[in-house]
Amino acid sequence: MAIVVRLDELLHARRMTLTELAARVDITLANLSILKTGKAKAIRFSTLEAICTALECQPGDLIARDPTLPAEE
Amino acid sequence: MTRSSIRALAFARPVIKGLTVLNLVYAAGLAALFVFSFFIEGWPTRPLGDFASTHPQLGNGLRAIVAIGFVAALIVHTILRRLLAMVDTVRDGDPFILENAERLNAIAWSVLALEVLRLGVMTIGSIVWEPGRLGEFSFTPWLAVLLLFVLSGVFTHGARMRADLEGTV
Repeated sequence: MAIVVRLDELLHARRMTLTELAARVDITLANLSILKTGKAKAIRFSTLEAICTALECQPGDLIARDPTLPAEE
Repeated sequence: MTRSSIRALAFARPVIKGLTVLNLVYAAGLAALFVFSFFIEGWPTRPLGDFASTHPQLGNGLRAIVAIGFVAALIVHTILRRLLAMVDTVRDGDPFILENAERLNAIAWSVLALEVLRLGVMTIGSIVWEPGRLGEFSFTPWLAVLLLFVLSGVFTHGARMRADLEGTV
């Protein structure tokens, strides 16, 4: 999929672990892990809002399109 | 899940298994009847008396109905096997899958085939022993076929939606 999730970079920049983020946004560690590894098929606006609020970023900082990657079938 | 549906589900498995055994016994009985009809002397005149002698095609008609009954029993067997598999998926906690939609679709086709066979039996009856009189036609089984096809479509759509939702965070 050409859509990439930059959660790893954002967490690294803010020196935050996935477990800490899970506690702040009230989303399970398993679901955040799915998001981080790019295995998620869709993201809810509420999840996006919670993560952006916790990481003080814009949705565009979290999600981007990489044209070098193949599009989903 | 409501208490009544849980109770119905608990009963469904042994009931379906019991019906499967009964249906197999029924199919074996029909097969035996079909085979023995060729070896019993004076069949069907001896057991049916005057009625058989006034209807010359009765023997062939009865054999055809027995053969249709055997085929119908085989179809019912496939329906019961699929139904059991569906009940098992409910017990396992994951019934909204594409396999169940395919099973429902196959059951719908099977019920349709059973109804066509029933029309065949009615036609044989009207030709052999009651010329010109066709048995009563019922819309209910055809409505059940339509309902099963609709349900299968709903299941397919629901299973796809659930698959989509599974990857949503």
